[in-house]
Amino acid sequence: MNALRRHRALSRIWASDPGFRGWFTTVNHNDVGRMFIVTSVFFFLVGGILAMLIRAQLATPRSAFVGPEIYNQIFTMHGTIMMFLFAIPLIEGVAIYLLPKLLGTRDLAYPRLTAFGYWCYVFGGSMLLFSLLVGIAPDSGWFLYPPLSSTLGQPGINSDFWLLGITFVEISAIAAAVEITVTVLRYRAPGMSLTRMPVLAWYLLVTVVMILTGFPPLILGSILLELERAFGMPFFQVEHGGDSLLWQHLFWLFGHPEVYIIFLPAAGVISTILPVMARTTLLGYGWVVAAAIALGVLSFGLWVHHMYVTGIPHMGVAFFSAASTLVAVPTAVQVFAWIGTLWKGQPQLRLPMLWILGFFVTFVIGGLTGVMVAIVPFDAQVHDTYFIVAHLHYVLVGGFVFPMMAALYYWLPHVTGRKRFFKLGEAAFWLIFLGFHVTFLALHWVGLLGMRRRIYTFDSGQGWELVNLISSIGGFVATIGFGLVLVDIIVNAVVATRGVRNPWGAGTLEWAMPTPPPAYTFASLPSVSERDPLLKEPRLGVGLAKGEGFLGDPSRGRRETLCVETASGRPAYLVTFPDNSALPFALSAVTGGIFLGMLLKAYWLIPLSILGIVALGVRWVWTTGADRDRGPMDVGRGVSLIPAEEAEDPPGWWGSVFLLLADATLFGSLLFGYAFLWTVAPNWPPPSYLAPDPVAAVLAAVGGLVAVAAFRLAARALEQGGSAIGWLILAALGAGAVGAAAISVMVARPDFTAHAYDATLWVIAGYVLLHAALAVLMALFLAARGWLGFLGPRRRGPVRVGQIWADYLLVVAAIGLGAAWLPGAFA
Amino acid sequence: MTEILRISVPMTFWLAAFSAVYGLQGFICSRHWFEAEVEGLTVARMALVGAWLLVIAVQVAMLAMLRAERWASPEPTMRFVSVTLAVVALVAAVWSLVPVATTSICY
Repeated sequence: MNALRRHRALSRIWASDPGFRGWFTTVNHNDVGRMFIVTSVFFFLVGGILAMLIRAQLATPRSAFVGPEIYNQIFTMHGTIMMFLFAIPLIEGVAIYLLPKLLGTRDLAYPRLTAFGYWCYVFGGSMLLFSLLVGIAPDSGWFLYPPLSSTLGQPGINSDFWLLGITFVEISAIAAAVEITVTVLRYRAPGMSLTRMPVLAWYLLVTVVMILTGFPPLILGSILLELERAFGMPFFQVEHGGDSLLWQHLFWLFGHPEVYIIFLPAAGVISTILPVMARTTLLGYGWVVAAAIALGVLSFGLWVHHMYVTGIPHMGVAFFSAASTLVAVPTAVQVFAWIGTLWKGQPQLRLPMLWILGFFVTFVIGGLTGVMVAIVPFDAQVHDTYFIVAHLHYVLVGGFVFPMMAALYYWLPHVTGRKRFFKLGEAAFWLIFLGFHVTFLALHWVGLLGMRRRIYTFDSGQGWELVNLISSIGGFVATIGFGLVLVDIIVNAVVATRGVRNPWGAGTLEWAMPTPPPAYTFASLPSVSERDPLLKEPRLGVGLAKGEGFLGDPSRGRRETLCVETASGRPAYLVTFPDNSALPFALSAVTGGIFLGMLLKAYWLIPLSILGIVALGVRWVWTTGADRDRGPMDVGRGVSLIPAEEAEDPPGWWGSVFLLLADATLFGSLLFGYAFLWTVAPNWPPPSYLAPDPVAAVLAAVGGLVAVAAFRLAARALEQGGSAIGWLILAALGAGAVGAAAISVMVARPDFTAHAYDATLWVIAGYVLLHAALAVLMALFLAARGWLGFLGPRRRGPVRVGQIWADYLLVVAAIGLGAAWLPGAFA
Repeated sequence: MTEILRISVPMTFWLAAFSAVYGLQGFICSRHWFEAEVEGLTVARMALVGAWLLVIAVQVAMLAMLRAERWASPEPTMRFVSVTLAVVALVAAVWSLVPVATTSICY
């Protein structure tokens, strides 16, 4: 088969549906990645317009441009959109688009999950956009502190839009994080060991693990605050045993890592582009990888540095001040590695490099003011002033937007297949760079002069007038620059001439394909023996197009790729991806019913939506697997591999492991909240404790153990050629018993509005009940699959997936129900 | 997964230990159970300093393990990354928990 025939055959297999329908049914990472990027840029424009409204209002004292009610919505939505609807989704979009190409594989681990995440993002973002358009947007600041955001401070629907919309969007982030984690660990080109991975893959791996462990505390906080607003569960109301500081802890457990979740991918982009611009390789690969990991973990030990002025004892703030100063070290290691790379190479001042230099200047200033505000006495002086606003913009714009502009111009030839002809980008850079620094250097100054953040106006005579006017002028100059970038991109994407395949002479695999990339990405998968394969073999892409790599024969007519062993990169098994499907769109729309039901207080919609989710979820997994053993199959280059459904650790098992990591973090955050209220909230202990229920305790213990054992016995029965159906039904009964024990806790304390203790018991019991229901569903689903012949001696993987969920149920039931009953036993 | 564990466990342990010592300090301050003195030191101070030393000891042990042939990564770059991260975790344990010996506990 020649290259053209291979291209046509693979295009038929991998192509999205034609026309408008294709938008809703595509699961291809090329499409969904581009859709993520375009949508996030749209939200960036909305957030940018809001920023201009802020600067218009503050340009002069006693401005009559907008009143306080509208101004509160504008600054809240500016921060919310930029953090949740622009930065994180843009990272996801870039990762979704680039990662399979960098890793030498054909798609992400779970293509339908990619599309599901995108639609959750669109629906959640649309909710927030709608609230803005009709003037009922959230107005309590982007971190939504109660009691300002609770029914005490905001009885309207405004805060509900934030809590529900953002939680919906966070489903998208968790979905993307799970699949990117599994993709980096298992879906790489054969031979690509961990140490041969492109450095951006390391950065993205660290970032998504941070999303899996950083987002759940905010998801939990949002659930708790929404439960308080909707049903009166008093988690944050002091007179009923709650504490508004709990929200601050949960928010910043997410919020501080969030800064690094945004910065690290940008640093990965710098580490990828800068060596190419310097015509060399990255200096200190091992140091940079270690610095990225260290930065990621250290960032979780800083959350209280946003709470220095909340009255926490000296020792507490000193812990976090010390940890905050530490993060400067791995950050500096990366900066020195980049400077060393420039030093050893021959840098060219092309447009991506210009943005990188802008990043250096801006981010280093932001980093240094970050060290300043890590020091408690200084922070106490500038807390809630414009100094903080200036600092965070230096970090986020300098540390994220500027590198993303470098990425935009670096990978634009890849996305469009065209060579940049019109040179508006350079002028745009200078407008943005100078406009930005005029705006935010001035805001440092006005902050030190004492101007508080979030004030909708100010009186003249305080020395703030000129500085604010200069800042506003700078803001508008930068905005003109961003407008120019937009014009530059559109013009070059539409009318510029065709470009060459690897215009920068880069060494990474995304350039070993035609541009724009075909739907199948690689005609055949490369075998990798270098960190920068194209530097050693510049014509690698031609060989792959000729089918010289793995899976070069499309005759099976399926969307195929390979899974490799995590560390070594040796080929492990063959994966067949699903075809185009409207299921992700439908599932996200039905999931939206839960959020819409909560928002409109149409609670009847919630059980209907749950039923819909279960039905569509069953349909989703029903289409996977095989009803017979297929055995090893030829994957090219003389290698035969088993299909994924016959592996001990199929993709679903890996996805479950990392989803459970996020799940366990949420549960840990819940237990932290329980312990926090217990030790810190003023109105504790509660009037009475839940009395232990020996019958329910035995039910939970026996049920959990039975479920765990039955899944294992089901796997063993399959291995020995027997039937697993009986064991799986027994597992469902065991999990059901755990659920019954959880319900008994709720029944024993029916009034969840009486005290935060009762409300917490309900949430813990609800959490256990949810996982019991999941285990029951999985066991019954697997029993049905077994009955229809989809399980067998080789095809035991799905049972192992159910097994880890049953194991997790046992753990959370023991801890959760134990935490509910033990205080009463000792009281 | 062994390689992933080698590079993730020391820093993760630091994070867990750091959070646990912060929790211990909160617990001490909420209950006033540790105000008794022994040899001029409060039980609270001894508990916190003891926890700090224990964390350092565990970090040192992990660093030693990752350097030992039996436990070290066979791949040179992964070995470098894992040992570097164990050193970072040790330094973080020493530095970020210094306040247990130098500041007031509950004020």
